[in-house]
Amino acid sequence: MAFSNKHLRWLALILRIALGGIFIYAAWAKLRDPWELYALAINSYEVLPLWAVELVARTLPWLELVVGVGLVSGIGLRIWSAATSLLLVVFFGLMVRAFAKGMQINCGCFGGTGDIISKWTLLRDGSMLAGSLLLTWMAFPRRSQPASHGNPVPDPNPAPDRIPV
Amino acid sequence: MKPYAVALVALLPCLAASLGDVDKAKTLGNPGAPVRIELFSDFQCPGCKAFHEMLLPVIIRDYVVPGKAYIFNHEFPLTMHPYSREAANLATAAATIGKYQQVADVLFLNQVSWGTSGKVWDTVASVLTPAEQKKVQALAKDPAILAQVQQDVEAGQAQRVPQTPTIVVSRGTKRYSFPGPDQGNYPLLRSLIDGLLK
Repeated sequence: MAFSNKHLRWLALILRIALGGIFIYAAWAKLRDPWELYALAINSYEVLPLWAVELVARTLPWLELVVGVGLVSGIGLRIWSAATSLLLVVFFGLMVRAFAKGMQINCGCFGGTGDIISKWTLLRDGSMLAGSLLLTWMAFPRRSQPASHGNPVPDPNPAPDRIPV
Repeated sequence: MKPYAVALVALLPCLAASLGDVDKAKTLGNPGAPVRIELFSDFQCPGCKAFHEMLLPVIIRDYVVPGKAYIFNHEFPLTMHPYSREAANLATAAATIGKYQQVADVLFLNQVSWGTSGKVWDTVASVLTPAEQKKVQALAKDPAILAQVQQDVEAGQAQRVPQTPTIVVSRGTKRYSFPGPDQGNYPLLRSLIDGLLK
């Protein structure tokens, strides 16, 4: 089934509002509590020394807030969608690692009082990552295919450089 | 743990033994202290043993003895541990005669032994006089004591305690759950409590 630009525009709008909203909520959930609770969740992954845990716990929620607002606003979407994808790749990778190691820990996705890492949380974050990667792909310009012989055949319904999201 | 408990009993006359009430018997420190630390623990959980023997004395030294916080023990026996509930019932029964800390100490000290053999009572009896043994044995079957333990469990479920041990620190309306306290994350717990004390 071929999607028209209109469908893609709607899809992109839904993705950026949904992802932006989730990031804003995640940031708020972390910022409303003392940073130590989020730090505890980060520390339970056992990947960072305590000083780095504190640094991440104090700064990451603000970064999530900025990214979330950026996504919802739609201004500079390439930057925000790429940043979202990058963050979600890191989050998802850490969660997969913890799940594979059988660690029964809070994912820390929404602060200190979140869900224990499970197939459900992996599915949730995996879906977000897929959506984010799709949004990033739509936000960046794509080169049109050059014709193999002679002059390019004009396309009666040309695709734009990128989906205007 | 034991020396701190003894020191506290000597320092603070309002402690467990002198009050005769289960709630107060499970309290360490001055209930007038600004921060309340609630501990949800399971006598058969290895993490709780480590916490009781290594971190609890540090918390008592840093916060309870200086009068900054007091600790309230909640029983949270997990269903995966077959003798936890019995141990919790006996410890709660012992609390009514002011022997909660002694019973808790001996249960954690010999956790592997009674956790394997199921001889919880033998372990508890080792720190009680014959007269106390009679009382505790009878009280451990008292519906009021069983209800007290169940009340603790329900309090933990209401707090959405995800694991044992879990600490809930509170001051006024501020209330935060800190699951899995250990020596590695103690700086975070300390920072959280210090934040509440400001």
